[in-house]
Parts: sequence; structure tokens; C-alpha cells
Amino acid sequence: MVTTAANWVAPPTRPPLIETLVSGVDRYNPSNVGILEDYLYHQIRSQEYDCLANLAILKLYQFNPDLYNPDVVINILIKALTSAPFPDFSLCISLLDERPASATSTAAAANPDEPDPLPQLLPVLTQLHGLLQQCRFPRFWALYRSDAVEALRDNYTVECVGFEDAVRDVAVRAVKAAFTSISSERLGSYLDLSGPELTAYVEKLGWTIDAATGVVSVPPNPDNQIESTVVQESIQLPQLTKVIAHAAQTSLPVVSAV
Amino acid sequence: MAQQRKVWEADLDEDFQDVDLNLAIGTYGQNGLYDDAQSRVDEATLLALQQQMAQQAAFAQIPDVVKRFIAHFHQAVLDNNLAEITVAYESGWNRLTEKFYAKTEWPEAEVIAPLVNDDQIFLILYRELYYRHVYSRLTPDIDDRFHSYENSCELFNYLLNSDGPVPLELPEQWLWDIIDEFIYQFQSFCVWRSKVKSKTDEEIAMLAEGSQVWSSYSVLNVLYSLIQKSKINEHLVALQEGKSPEEIAEIVGEYGTRPLYKLLGYFSIIGLLRVHSLLGDFTLALKVMENVELNQKSPFTRVTACHVTTYYYVGFCYIMLRRYPDAIRTFVSILNFILRMRQYHTRSYQYDQINKTADRMYALFAICNALSPTRVDDNISNIVKERYGEQFAKMSRGEEGIPAFEELFLYACPKFITANPPPYEDPEALQGYIDEPPVEPAQRHLQLFLAEVRAQAPVPTLRSFLKLYTSLDASKLANFLDADEEDMVQQLMVMKQASRSISRVDEKSLLDGQWISTSDLDFVINQNMVHIAESTVGRRYAGWFIRNTEHAQRVLDTLRNAPLPIPSKPTEANKASKAESTAPAAQAPARTGGKQVAWGSAKAA
Repeated sequence: MVTTAANWVAPPTRPPLIETLVSGVDRYNPSNVGILEDYLYHQIRSQEYDCLANLAILKLYQFNPDLYNPDVVINILIKALTSAPFPDFSLCISLLDERPASATSTAAAANPDEPDPLPQLLPVLTQLHGLLQQCRFPRFWALYRSDAVEALRDNYTVECVGFEDAVRDVAVRAVKAAFTSISSERLGSYLDLSGPELTAYVEKLGWTIDAATGVVSVPPNPDNQIESTVVQESIQLPQLTKVIAHAAQTSLPVVSAV
Repeated sequence: MAQQRKVWEADLDEDFQDVDLNLAIGTYGQNGLYDDAQSRVDEATLLALQQQMAQQAAFAQIPDVVKRFIAHFHQAVLDNNLAEITVAYESGWNRLTEKFYAKTEWPEAEVIAPLVNDDQIFLILYRELYYRHVYSRLTPDIDDRFHSYENSCELFNYLLNSDGPVPLELPEQWLWDIIDEFIYQFQSFCVWRSKVKSKTDEEIAMLAEGSQVWSSYSVLNVLYSLIQKSKINEHLVALQEGKSPEEIAEIVGEYGTRPLYKLLGYFSIIGLLRVHSLLGDFTLALKVMENVELNQKSPFTRVTACHVTTYYYVGFCYIMLRRYPDAIRTFVSILNFILRMRQYHTRSYQYDQINKTADRMYALFAICNALSPTRVDDNISNIVKERYGEQFAKMSRGEEGIPAFEELFLYACPKFITANPPPYEDPEALQGYIDEPPVEPAQRHLQLFLAEVRAQAPVPTLRSFLKLYTSLDASKLANFLDADEEDMVQQLMVMKQASRSISRVDEKSLLDGQWISTSDLDFVINQNMVHIAESTVGRRYAGWFIRNTEHAQRVLDTLRNAPLPIPSKPTEANKASKAESTAPAAQAPARTGGKQVAWGSAKAA
């Protein structure tokens, strides 16, 4: 069986070349960074996602600061954003080292016309991630649509095909686990959809919407089926070995001795 | 690979340059410029003579017992006599350290060289011990740090780049210590290097020049080279596939069949786990462990320190991957192992180190258990309550517990490092670095972790309310909590997510796993109605019955082994009443303290 985690470690869409890079020592070779970056842009265009391959880019940046490309980092973070509740976003940030602070000075000195966008965008991305992490979906959308995030929207997420749907997927995963039915108003606020758009989206998910009450019912799944259970202990043979061995050793001779 | 090799070769080149330089000076002297050469030679001989005299003086200072020890140690290494080497390594060295070198360095390798016929290989091993002693007992200065790096390079060069496998044998523990110390010195250097303010001008100049010394690439290079040379991953895979020893020998080749390379390879995998964790790459850390089965009965090594290190870092990586059930399982397994080991293992410095790591794991366990409350091993959770009960209580209360999380995390986390040095080669940038120092790595990882903790902060309160009901209207619950209903519903989704985790069920690879439910309290929302279900653990009888059966067996044994009563009337009555009175008396502790009985039975058996 292919598990969720196995898919995360090695997505089926990952090409063999990338697999060799991710799993072998070639991942440390700076001249391979281009291949991995191209693969990231491929993910951006085709709604694929490969966390480990993207972490490999950040690893190369960590070891070779001169390779650093802020656009790539931002795109990686955008991709990682929508994998919540997986911790991908934090895993990526972990590898960024002290970069944002120190990179500004060198990058700005090298190219004063084009300042590094990461220090500006990182707090915004972190804030967006925090909201998703806390399932604050309506607030996420409010922030995402606000002027404060304009730079991120216009320069980055617009290029990332299916970004908004990926965020909706995060919300759908959370709703699916916690609800058996939910009012369409509430669901709409999570998905930032309303009216016919919402109806269409719900139908695409295979969920049903009651036209009269506007209540969406969520199909049963392991997480929204709850049951009170009593866990009974099961006794394993090894627990009894001492008792049985002792009985076997001692019971016979005593009887015959008397 | 290309880059890797380059770094490695760069190290080699440096070594060769030194050699070339000497040669160049030598031929230069013979090439005819007599006058000039003459004075140079004189100066050189004079210097050499002075040095020699200094060394002779130093040599005279060495106590005879130390001289004999070194000569003996050298002979043992020459003979590849593992038993003798082990004695010298584990007891001789430490005893003499206590006696003569508790507060000073051992004699320098150059000084003792005559004792060992200038045996370069032994001198490298000697320096390995020499520097380790400096790091653990004294304060290494910049020269020590640079030289210990050079010596490590020489050692690994010798092991990896000789013609074929080297005919050396060393005890398992020493091999582990070599890798362990190599990474420790790397980590220590990185921490020391990042403290710019306290550096002298001379040190800054040396650091600016020697940016390759203890570089992340060079350290990874050594570990990967040892792994590849020993074909240890292939070896592990072959073992799992149940290949025969002959087949395995075929697979791993002339290096991998030798214990020295096999063990260094295995320890290097653990070394990678550690280095990647220190650098904040928790996914890669677990990925390099792909072929290692987490099991204390590892066919590879009996070195306790190796097991403890492995489990500590694996457990920590699981925490950073938010896989608390896996982390808990990892810690429980090794902590129980350490508890069992305690009675056999009282040896010295390693035991101290193991105990320290164990204590940090208890702290990490407390963190995990607060974030993912589950029924866990009683033994371990009792010790945790004893040591970290106060913090645990705070951490189980959400937001107000954040300082407790912070305290335990900082105490128990690895000593994180940054991959790159401060810009020592660029004075201007260096000043900028001093004026605006970057956030320390441990603080960065702490903040990321705390963000996760904060996201989960409402969970304990919600939980305590839900426990009281089987169903409850959302608006009513919001009222109790004095919260906005919509906010509260969103928090419920967080709670749901917090009660699910990826966990390794029967998967082999450490990164693999499936979604499992981690909480005994579950709920679901039907529009505005919250339905709650709790799974409870039924009463456990087995342990009680087993203990008492065992106890009854012992009582019976005692009775049977008692001498037959002598048939005289008064004593018989006495005996009978005695037998009667011992039985219930012995049974009494069984009821109250089951554990004592279990221990008693172990002793009896």
C-alpha cells in the first residue's frame, strides 16, 4: 500500500533524474541546482508538489550562499504553504539559516536597483502560514486579498497554477475530518466561494448540498466517523512464559518423590 | 560528487603543498647559491637544534610510567592486538590522564615520536587522543582547532586513500569515538567561529584564510566517503534481504568485509543523521537512515553510546516533523534500554554522557506527551513526572505553558549550528555582522517549534470541556469559553488535526508512515452540534494475575523446600502455624506493590 507519507517522500510524479539527485550524493553538487530549480518551476506550472526535491534546493543554497535565488525560495515557500497540516513550511524555513538578514546587505550592495524581495515577503508568508496552520480560513482569505499581500499576489502566486485551489484543499481536508455536515455559508467562508461557484465546487468534491436548507453534507470517512470504544487488553504468550516454564519444571518431580 | 571530491582534493593538495615546499627549499640549497644557502642552512640547523633540545627537555619530563604505556600501546597497535588496545584505550589512557594530565595536555606527538620509532600511523592515532583530551578537559585554542582538523584529515586520508584497505584494527568503542569526536569538534568549531566579538585580530586573519577548515562540505565528504568505501548501505540491504555471509562478502568487497571499515561506515550513517540534524535538515537526517533498522539488537554494534545517539536524534527529528507518536515511541524504547543497562553499565565518562542525553530525552518526552497526550509506558512517564512534573503540568495548559516549552526545548535540543562562517574575509561585512548579529540557530528552530505549539494552544481547554459531554451545541460551547462561535469552530478543526498524526506503523523506512488517530477523545460536528466519543481502556487484569501466579508459585516452592516436620507434637503445631502465617504475610505486598514482587521474582529466578 502506498501511504500518505510514502507519497510525500517520493511523489509518483517525480522523474527518475530527480530521484537520483534527491537520494544520492549528487544532491550536494552545486552544478545540479539548475535541474532542481527547473523542476520547481515545472511543479509551479503543473500543480505537482515534491517537498524533498525543493528541500534539496534549499540545502544547496545553505551550503553555497552564492547560488541563492530569492525568487526560487519564495516559490518553494508558496508551494510548502498549501501542504498544511504537514510541517513543510517550517522544514523549509529551517534551512534558510540566517539568510534574510545577511543577504539583504550583500544583495543590495551588488544590485541596488533590485533589492532582495524575501525579507519583505517572508513575514507575510509566515503570517499566511500561521493562519492556515490554525485553520483560520476566513482570515487567511481576508489577508490574502488585502493590499498588504499585493506584491506576493502580483509577482508570485499568480504564476503558481492552482494556488487558490490548493489553499481550498487545505480547508477541505480540515472540514472533511471534523464535519459530517456544514452550512454552506460557513463552508463558503472557508473556501472564499459563494453562490453558483460554491455549488459547483461542492459538487466537484462529490459532496451534496441541500437546496432548501443550504446544508452541505460531507461523505463519511475514517476521520468523521466517531465511535466510543473500550480497548481490551490482549495477553501475549511471552508474558506467560515464566509461569508456564515454572509449572513445567516443578510440578512433576514433587509428586513422584512422595 | 564533483564538488565533494574537489574539497577533498583541496585538502590533499594543501598537504602536498607543504611537502613540495620542503622539497623546494632543499633543492634550492643545493643549487649553487652557496653563500646565501650556507647562512640559511645554519639558521635552519640552529632552529632545528633548538627545537630538538626543547623536545629533549620535554621528553625528559615525561614520567617513566607514561613512556612505558606509550611504548606498550604502540606495540599493541602494531600487533593488531585488540584486547591489549582496548585495555590501553579504555583504562590505561584514562588512568594516566587522571594521574598526570588532568589539567594539562599530554606530551605532544613530536615529543613521543622516538618512543614509537616515528610510526606516523600511531602518531596520528595518538594525536586523535591528544586533541580529544584537549577538547574535553582543557580549552582548545585556535591552533588546537585547526590542528585537530588536520589530524582528522590525515587519519581519514590514510584510511580512505591508501592502496587497498589498511591492515589496522581498532576496538569498536574507539571507532565510534573517532566519528563521534569528529562531529563534536566540527560542531564546537562552528559555535566558536560564530562568536565574532571575542576573536583577536590574529584569529580573524587565520579564520579568513582557512575557510575550508571544518567546512560543512569537508565533514560531509568524510562521512559519505566512509559510507561509500565500506558499502555499508548495500550491506544493510543485503542483510535485510537475508543474503548469506558469502553473498554479503561478495557485495561489500575488500573494504566492507573488514570490521574497521564496516563499523566506520555504519557510524558514519549515524554521523550524517547527527550533522543533518545540527544543520536543521530533519528530513534528510531521517532519509540517510533509510536502511538502518531501529533496533537495539543491531547486528552491527554493541556500543551503547551509538544507540543512545541514534535514538536521541531520530526522536528529535520526529518532533520537528510533528510526528509526536513516533518520537514518543523512539524515546520510550531507548530510555527503557538505558534503565535496563544501568545495572551493568557504570563505566566512567561514557556513562555520564549517556545519563545526560537520557535526561534530555525525558524532557523531550514530556514535550511530546503534552502535545499529543496518549497512554504511555508507565515506567518512563513516572520518571518524567518526577523530573519534569512541574513543566509538564504547565505545558498541558495551552498558551500559558509556552515558557515551559521554551525552557525544555532549549535544554534538550541539539546544539544547532549554521552552515557558513561569518564573513571573516570581508572586514566591512564582518562589522555589519557584529552590529546586527543573525538570530542564533537554536532560537530560530525554537521559534518555528513554538509557532506550532501556539497553533495548538487552544486544544487542552477545548478538550477538558468536551470530555464532559456526549453532545453539545457549538454556540453553548462558545459561550462557556467566552469565545466567538466561528473562532471556536475553527479551533475545533485544529484540535481534530492535532489528534491525527503520521506514524510509522509497520513501515521499515523512518520517514514512511500512515495517518493514525492519537487521541482517546474524538468528536465530529454536525452543522452546529458537536458529538463526542471517548475510547477508554478496559481494566487490565493480566499483569495482576501473572504477578500473583508467580508469587503463588514461589510460596509453594518455599513450602516444598522446607524441611519435613519432625513428628513431635508441639513443634508440628508450631510449624503448621508458621507456614500459615508466612503465606498471607508474603502475599500482602503482592496486593499493594506489584512491582516489588516482579523484581523479587527476577531475583529468585
